Amino acid sequence: MISLKGVPSATAKTIVEFCRFVREKGLSASVQETLGALEAAAALDGKSSEELKFGLRSVLCSSKEDWDLFDDCFKAFWRGTVPELSPNRKPHPRDARRSRLGPRNTHPLMSIVSGDDVSSEQDGAQAVIGASTQERLTKTDFSRFPQSDMAALEQISLRLFKQMSRRLTRRRRSGTSRGQVDLRKTIRRNISRGGEPMNLRYRERKPRPHRLVTLLDISGSMSPYCIFLMKFLYALQKHFRHVDTFLFSTTLVEITPLLRSQRLQDALHALSQLPAGWSGGTKIGGSLREFNQLHRRKLRSKDTLFLILSDGWDTGEPDVLSSELGAIKRCVRRLIWLNPLLGLEDYQPITSGMNAALSHIDVFAPAHNLESLLALEKHL
Amino acid sequence: MKPPAVETTIMTTFPDLPSESSQGVDAIISGFERLGYVADRSLATAVYLVTKLRKPILVEGHAGLGKTELAKALASLLDRRLIRLQCYEGLDVNSAVYEWNYQKQLLAIKIEEGSDKTVEEKERHIFSGEFLLERPLLQSIQAEDASPVLLIDEIDRADEAFEAFLLELLSDYQITIPEMGTVHAKHVPYVVLTSNRSRELGEALKRRCLYQWIDYPSLEKEMKIVCTRLPGIEEKLARQVVGYVQAVRGLGLSKPPGVAETLDCAEALLTLGKPQLDEEAIEQTLGCISKSVEDSVKIRSAGAGKLFIPPGEGVSQPRQ
Repeated sequence: MISLKGVPSATAKTIVEFCRFVREKGLSASVQETLGALEAAAALDGKSSEELKFGLRSVLCSSKEDWDLFDDCFKAFWRGTVPELSPNRKPHPRDARRSRLGPRNTHPLMSIVSGDDVSSEQDGAQAVIGASTQERLTKTDFSRFPQSDMAALEQISLRLFKQMSRRLTRRRRSGTSRGQVDLRKTIRRNISRGGEPMNLRYRERKPRPHRLVTLLDISGSMSPYCIFLMKFLYALQKHFRHVDTFLFSTTLVEITPLLRSQRLQDALHALSQLPAGWSGGTKIGGSLREFNQLHRRKLRSKDTLFLILSDGWDTGEPDVLSSELGAIKRCVRRLIWLNPLLGLEDYQPITSGMNAALSHIDVFAPAHNLESLLALEKHL
Repeated sequence: MKPPAVETTIMTTFPDLPSESSQGVDAIISGFERLGYVADRSLATAVYLVTKLRKPILVEGHAGLGKTELAKALASLLDRRLIRLQCYEGLDVNSAVYEWNYQKQLLAIKIEEGSDKTVEEKERHIFSGEFLLERPLLQSIQAEDASPVLLIDEIDRADEAFEAFLLELLSDYQITIPEMGTVHAKHVPYVVLTSNRSRELGEALKRRCLYQWIDYPSLEKEMKIVCTRLPGIEEKLARQVVGYVQAVRGLGLSKPPGVAETLDCAEALLTLGKPQLDEEAIEQTLGCISKSVEDSVKIRSAGAGKLFIPPGEGVSQPRQ
């Protein structure tokens, strides 16, 4: 570490304060970054405010999002105004936690979760539900649930989702194929035989877990299924390493960090506070376009599974939906569309949106009850 | 916390800092310019900090904006060797750090078959430096005379495991070879990492680096780049091409053209002997600007005539 002698203590204090200020604004200015900022200030002479700003920016930012935020912070700190946080910035886990202490609102989502605790600590102790009940519940359409069965259903679903992810994990590991000879290991092993390669070692393909990107439709037509699918997504991201989760109706909202940082109810509560257009209209095409513009880099063609949970009622242009879906299809391994309406006996996917989408979809499956969600395993 | 008084400038906030770096930053700007690399003050400041703090720098930005070029320019400026590691999916330690020369090892074992060396001696021999193939990362810390510039290009293409390895290297600048021991860097390299943001990099790696975002240049800066790189171009044509490319960037293409594409287009026009941009010229050089059928269709349907300024008219701001 270089000496900080070059920075007079008054200046150093201001810089430390600035680091604390930007930390509050959402940049990750930990002690390490603060030290970096001091070093940078010592290396730059401070003759030019511009250079100091650029220097601090390169130390304190670590992504484009930080970069965009920094100028406002810098201006605010030295001019005494407080910057508006951009609305699409990821909520800090701390903020999310704080929000659960706030007043409880009467959001539809909350009326369901209020009261019954379904956190994972409990389900081990209360895993005593008759097999027949379980059978009945797993086959019941989510939209027809009586309120009294809710708690039982939640317990079953949590347990089943856990099972499912365990099975999935195991499957990834199996399978050994012989590929190239690993010369390095082979020679190392055969030195004692004078280097004669008798025991061949092979280079195996290292299995890599799939990445999952999920988009849940939260428009009005989906509202009977929303809560269950939300919990399904919560279970998925809890047990898979790489899951990116989004909600959409007319716009797209990323909720990955929100789900990751807290328990189910807190997460649901925080979700209900999001300006995500709950029970509004649907613009699937527009939302997918937003995804393509902002988040496409999350897709990697070889190992990304793309999961859309929607009933396909779209008020946008079918052409947009089709072209955006086509663009996504080119970047992913498999495109899966789960449609709760498929569970209805007389349902035909003839909405214009669904029609436009069908040609790009690899797997089109129902998602109206637990059984159908669990069947997803064979597609993953 | 209370921010300092309203309307104080930083100059008055930091009257007491020692002074010498302005020349440093200016020297970098002018040095880069001599090498044909146009850097703004923000980038030059970051580069200055790289040379002073000896931290790696992570440069992100869209394709074709001179991220890789930065490392080359830095190497020329410092007059150091440039060591380049191009990342790709599946990049492993064998091709990034070191590899044993197996063929030579096998031969050596054969040759020594009759000798009375013990197995241990043989082993020590075939795992000595003589049989080691140094790959870029090992080369970068083994430089004898001066710190080289290490360019780790498109780090976002490598996988997370490699990123984790890199993290270790960038914090200690040492590499452990099990058969030989640990190699410490004699001279810590200047490290430039570039990323196209095709995936999110790990938090730990990002925090270890200085960060620089390179955005599409302003009209003036891009003009300067075109005129610097293509000294033979007339200013009128350059201004037309730059204006045209900047307008195309506003069309929302899936792959907006970078500065590299601007230069390609301008060079193509020079080669075709076009004194000015017209619809025919745009059609002929469309391949320089657009890299997919959809984008070409978008440019054509936007109307080639609207995308550039006919000669004689003032410069209008491209829509963003």
